[in-house]
Amino acid sequence: MSVETVESSTGPTPKRGVSILFGLTLLGLLVVLWLLLGLATSAFWTPNNISNLLRQGAMTAILAVGQTFVIITAGIDLSVGAVVGFTSVIVAWLLAAGVPLWLALIATLLIGVLIGAFHAFGIVRMGLPPFIITLATLTSLRGIGLLITNGSTISITNEAFTNFSRADFLGVPSLFWMVIVVAVPAYVFLHLSRFGRYLFAVGSNSEAARLSGVNVNRTIYLAYILSSTCAAFVGLLLASRIGIGNATQAEGWELQAIASSVIGGTSLFGAVGSVHGPLLGAFILATINNGANLLNVNSFWQRIITGLLIIVIVYFDQLRRRGSR
Amino acid sequence: MTGLQEVSQRHEDELEAAVAKGKPILELRGLQKNYGAVQALKPATITFLSGEIHAIVGENGAGKSTLIKLLTGVIPRTAGEVSWQGEPVQLATPTEAIARGINAVHQEVVLCPHLSVAANMFLGDEMNSKGLMRKRAMTDAAQGVLDDLGFNLPANATLGSLTIGQQQLVATARAAMRGTRFLIFDEPTAYLTRQESAQLFRLIRRLQGEGVTIVYISHRLEEVFELADRVSVLRDGTHVGTRYISETNEAELIALMINRTIEQIYHKEQFALGETIVETRGLSGPGFSDISLSVRAGEIVGLYGLIGAGRSEFALGLYGRHPLTGGEVYWQGRKVEIGNERRAMELGIALAPESRRDQGLCLNLPIGLNINLPVFRKLTRGLTINRAEEAANADRQIRDLQIKTPSRRVLASAMSGGNQQKIVIGKWLSHGAKLFIFDEPTVGVDVGTKAEIYRLFARLLEKGAGIILISSYLPEVYELADRLHVFRQGRLVASHDYRAASHEDVLAQAINA
Ligand SMILES: Nc1ncnc2c1ncn2[C@@H]1O[C@H](COP(=O)(O)OP(=O)(O)OP(=O)(O)O)[C@@H](O)[C@H]1O
Ligand SMILES: [Mg+2]
Repeated sequence: MSVETVESSTGPTPKRGVSILFGLTLLGLLVVLWLLLGLATSAFWTPNNISNLLRQGAMTAILAVGQTFVIITAGIDLSVGAVVGFTSVIVAWLLAAGVPLWLALIATLLIGVLIGAFHAFGIVRMGLPPFIITLATLTSLRGIGLLITNGSTISITNEAFTNFSRADFLGVPSLFWMVIVVAVPAYVFLHLSRFGRYLFAVGSNSEAARLSGVNVNRTIYLAYILSSTCAAFVGLLLASRIGIGNATQAEGWELQAIASSVIGGTSLFGAVGSVHGPLLGAFILATINNGANLLNVNSFWQRIITGLLIIVIVYFDQLRRRGSR
Repeated sequence: MTGLQEVSQRHEDELEAAVAKGKPILELRGLQKNYGAVQALKPATITFLSGEIHAIVGENGAGKSTLIKLLTGVIPRTAGEVSWQGEPVQLATPTEAIARGINAVHQEVVLCPHLSVAANMFLGDEMNSKGLMRKRAMTDAAQGVLDDLGFNLPANATLGSLTIGQQQLVATARAAMRGTRFLIFDEPTAYLTRQESAQLFRLIRRLQGEGVTIVYISHRLEEVFELADRVSVLRDGTHVGTRYISETNEAELIALMINRTIEQIYHKEQFALGETIVETRGLSGPGFSDISLSVRAGEIVGLYGLIGAGRSEFALGLYGRHPLTGGEVYWQGRKVEIGNERRAMELGIALAPESRRDQGLCLNLPIGLNINLPVFRKLTRGLTINRAEEAANADRQIRDLQIKTPSRRVLASAMSGGNQQKIVIGKWLSHGAKLFIFDEPTVGVDVGTKAEIYRLFARLLEKGAGIILISSYLPEVYELADRLHVFRQGRLVASHDYRAASHEDVLAQAINA
């Protein structure tokens, strides 16, 4: 009879403030981490380190936002790390072939769109579980990237491109500005437009959404295309940052993205999530890695700490959700 | 072949001695439940007597299901005491409740749709031998119980392949075979056909005969009068009284429940019929074939039949959810192809589907979002949704339909069954349409609200809409439909004008007796 509890455990009354409140708690956590690290090591609050941290967090943050769209529909996108590596190869390859920069950028983003469309096709038309289809592209894309590069890397000589990631604008790293460039439209899309509502509805009950006139298939296409396009965008940023295209880069970033999203309050069961949550989640993870490096914590320990943190944060989030039971 | 007796015997020995018939078996003293600020059940003091059938009635959100969930250990109580056979008990978990012999068939069946009927019946209570499950033995035993109960159901079928009503019967059989002392039914007949209800009533009487105490929750007062010995009334979470069934009547119960009187539940107004809105000719699809009928402006067309007779399938086919295999649809005289749900909506068809859990609601999303789901397109200005209109639209439906909630931001899952049904209806009222298809619109809805929904039908008709009303509850379609079509096994077998045939005839046509 314990199955009966499922119905009531979805429970309490979410007030408008709750999501914001949770966002504030995460922000609080981030601030506390920064203050503590500032006290613990003088190397933390240096312009260099902060820029570094913002750059590192930026890429995960963008991936996490795209991932969140997919998770809200009760799906998952395991391919994003592979897409980052793959698209870094594509852009390097195009540039090496003498394609003009603007065209190379657009073409690479379009590859991202195509990959997302392929995922949605597999899910909608072939009836494959999201986990499977994105797992398949995860391994295949790495393979295709390695074939293109013959197992090595392609270096990028275009200075305008490689300088971008090192540049600052108004004293803030350009990579961090890219987070804002992604986050603002993402926020409008998810929280203010009807398509955002449709993502939630499909994640909650796709049959009810369909009978209410929501084009469920199109919504799924949208989610996966957005996720892959975000990943392709990160692929560009990464290529710019390291100056090469390499299919084996960004190993495990899909897990970073999923972790950021979940830390940010996204429910893997779908229909719960926001844009600000995963952003904060990504920077919390980046801060922990950064801090651990500065404090000379063994990198093996870093992994363990990250894992524990995921459990603790998500556990508290669950408690809060069940709150009034 | 094993029957109910043998299977439930497995548990008899574990239970404590029974209380003599007519003596208190379960006593609640000041039992109370708050969900945050919501007082779902105010301190209630009720005594259940051994061997009685005790009905509980009350409006939607009155706290009936909450009471049941407390007694079965599904949710923790806020305050109060419960004594079972004279001793105070915690009832903290479902396991504890079951161990004491308290079982329930909940309002929304929560079983595992992917498992077989037998596996569901034995879920958590499997027959083992040397650590391995005895699948064959369980299937046989389950079939024995089902046959013994007179439920015509296959034990090896997947639960999900059955209709909601049949699943409800499985849940009932499951509870009955647990060696039960105290069995609670939360609106068990909501999804059952007359025939299935009759089977259920026989089962209930039989269990009572074996000394089981029964608690029976229903919005159908005639069932209460047919079955119960005593009846308790809840209003807004307050226990307002308990009566012997022989000393009360419908009017008194309704007055207790809603604190006012209703002269006429089946509110019907006749309107001059207008043009034909939709006509189907020989329509066929999955689950129905060769259906020809038409709906005119100002008309309620009733579809009656047993569950599984193909009425909902017909509705889904007409709405473009399932592909049609034959026949034609004429919309206001023009032949149309309705390939998908959006096309149906654009033409002006609205469908409030049968199952609010599976088809009607996004349960873990706010009420407001659910109500607005079909109309976000209209609420969009440029790129974004007009938040003020979004809020106003949701609030209007909540007010008009008297959905009991502190706010539109509450999750649909926190609503009582009847209030969830109102959300489904509210969705389509805010969208508007020429043709409304209401599939079992009053399942789990209390008398007062029912009357309001019927009034609402009249308002829709007045504005020139047509209605297809699907119901397994004969009095409802019988009293409301201008034209009544009877379905049997996917076919339209008979049609009657308003009140032109007797209940008995209609029923006989539906079951082919
Ligand atoms: N999980 C929950 N969280 C918050 N409030 C809840 C929850 N479950 C029920 N409620 C509230 O408790 C009250 C009583 O609900 P309950 O389900 O007991 O009503 P009911 O009498 O069974 O109604 P119905 O006839 O519609 O099934 C309602 O106001 C409902 O909104
Ligand atoms: Mg209820």
